[in-house]
Amino acid sequence: MEQELLKITDLSVEYRVGGKVSKAVNHLNLTIHKGEALGLVGESGAGKTTTALATLGLLPEKVGYVTGGSVEFHGEPLLKKKDRELSKIRGKQIAMVFQNPLTSLNPLFTVGHQIAMVYQKHEKMSKKEAMEKADELLKMVGIASYRHGDYPHQFSGGMRQRVGIAAALACSPELLICDEPTTALDVTIQAQILELMKNLQSEYSTSLLMITHNLGIIAELCQNVAIMYAGHVVEYGSVEEVFSHPMHWYTKGLLNAIPKLTGPREKLESIPGMVANSQNLPEGCKFHPRCSHCTEQCKEAVPELVRINDNHYVACYHMEVGV
Amino acid sequence: MNEINNKSEAPLLRLEGLQKYFEIPGKGSLHAVDGISLDIMPHETLGLVGESGCGKSTVGNVLMNLLPATGGHAYFDGIDIVGAKGNNLTELRKKMQIIFQDPYSSLNPRKTIYSTLAAPFKVHHMAADKRDLDNKVKELARMVGLEEYVLKQYPHELDGGKRQMVGIARSFALNPSFIVCDEPVSSLDVSVQATIINLLIELQKQKGMTYLFISHDLSVVRHISNRVAVMYLGQIVELADTDEIFSNTMHPYSIALLSAVPRVEFKDRTERIVLKGDVPSPMNPEPGCRFAPRCWMSCAGKCKGADPKLEEITPGHYVACPYWKEAQEAGRELMKK
Repeated sequence: MEQELLKITDLSVEYRVGGKVSKAVNHLNLTIHKGEALGLVGESGAGKTTTALATLGLLPEKVGYVTGGSVEFHGEPLLKKKDRELSKIRGKQIAMVFQNPLTSLNPLFTVGHQIAMVYQKHEKMSKKEAMEKADELLKMVGIASYRHGDYPHQFSGGMRQRVGIAAALACSPELLICDEPTTALDVTIQAQILELMKNLQSEYSTSLLMITHNLGIIAELCQNVAIMYAGHVVEYGSVEEVFSHPMHWYTKGLLNAIPKLTGPREKLESIPGMVANSQNLPEGCKFHPRCSHCTEQCKEAVPELVRINDNHYVACYHMEVGV
Repeated sequence: MNEINNKSEAPLLRLEGLQKYFEIPGKGSLHAVDGISLDIMPHETLGLVGESGCGKSTVGNVLMNLLPATGGHAYFDGIDIVGAKGNNLTELRKKMQIIFQDPYSSLNPRKTIYSTLAAPFKVHHMAADKRDLDNKVKELARMVGLEEYVLKQYPHELDGGKRQMVGIARSFALNPSFIVCDEPVSSLDVSVQATIINLLIELQKQKGMTYLFISHDLSVVRHISNRVAVMYLGQIVELADTDEIFSNTMHPYSIALLSAVPRVEFKDRTERIVLKGDVPSPMNPEPGCRFAPRCWMSCAGKCKGADPKLEEITPGHYVACPYWKEAQEAGRELMKK
């Protein structure tokens, strides 16, 4: 595969609030290559968003702490960078689209202004030039440019998210991190956003880190997928390989738990128990209390991510092929 | 899910031109539900799908008499829900229950789970004494799979899945014959969602109640429903048996909606039909097909003035579009990979 763009090695992140420690991310390894779309899947509390925030140095101050590991972008370590240095990268080389477009846009500035700000900051453009560029971007995401003087509250959810995407795309970032970009949106609007992202990928070969709990979106948009559980990648590989031959019991459970749109309607398999509590993680494999194939070995040691073939890695002692 | 044979029976619930307009001072009227007519048969699960703002939750709320209808009728066992008062209403409330979308806001944070579950028995004087009440509440908890210690807890101590189980238990307390499930799984994680869906199906098998299952998630609706109605801007545009509507979709809106869902399966992938723009406002809608401004078929011009009625095309399959045949053909062409 091509050049490594983002390499996360052994990353651990903790949240410390009121004397309690939540281990949100535990020894996470991920690599995104140039032009690749990687999906990061997991249930709420799996540490997906924390991984993205840590990468960009956006963890909440005095609450979120990186306790180990490294993040490299183009071979340069990101975690040690000062905020001023990071802010040169954020929005220019790495951009992020947030889940809730209403809270991630500033309600006091017009959307044109907010997009133009990105150009003014990173490209040192004059305000007039920046505004013209902003209009072009708005048009590209399907918003008529006469609306550049409107405020976020004047737009619908889908349009706001398109504004968020436009702002993220302003400086043609090499890596776009999307955190549940369509979760708050309706199906038909979600389809519009997905088509937009597909086009971006094929036209500008932007690399994509797609964070979502929706396996369907991953299947349509990404080449590779990492399944996260309790801050840890339990299965990684090409989307087709992982989804058609899942090997980790958690992945299998997830795939069997979603109702399908085609084929016979069989009883859904539910995964017993609850998502692991990050304040009180079990020893060994984090999934073992919910796993039907758990043995003593699983309770004692954390299984390593093992290579099955070039497109498939699994962290399980008792893996089995097929659903 | 399960096969039911109730074609010959009388409907449990009959909606005739049900209507709910909200008058917004200075702006006009918002047509949330605009003339819905359909029958809900005993023991079936009728899925109601549509995007946000299409009025599906309002239908549920009107049926539960949580909102007064502004027109039409809804007969439940012969009693008109619209305008029901006094004893009639109390009787209806015993037989009809609702499960809400958000288990976080629909449970009283200051009451223990026990007192939440005991409330229906107390309100309707269904428990003889304290011991009887105790037994009934415990039985209820067992039925949905809640451990007994949960009864002593408060809602904030439970996770989303458990809270929704409490919501389900509460709605089943009085052994109702009809339950409105208003997006009961949309705030839950995938693995928990499966648990709740299985529970709803299992309880229906045991008790034989009728569900109106409101959801925006087509795959969940397909999984649980016997029949499916698709709503757009306050009106039903298509209604048919689940397998029929998913394999032989007729209305251009349903076709686009179905094609828009991202799929996990790699087999039989199709291109999607992307609708332009957003769902228009239901405020003072213009006469004519509500979907015409967003319709992907070229016939939009013809439909502007017309007011397509829901018509039975094949037995049990109703569509509100005269150009459904063209839509099916054009859809097939567009979705080819």
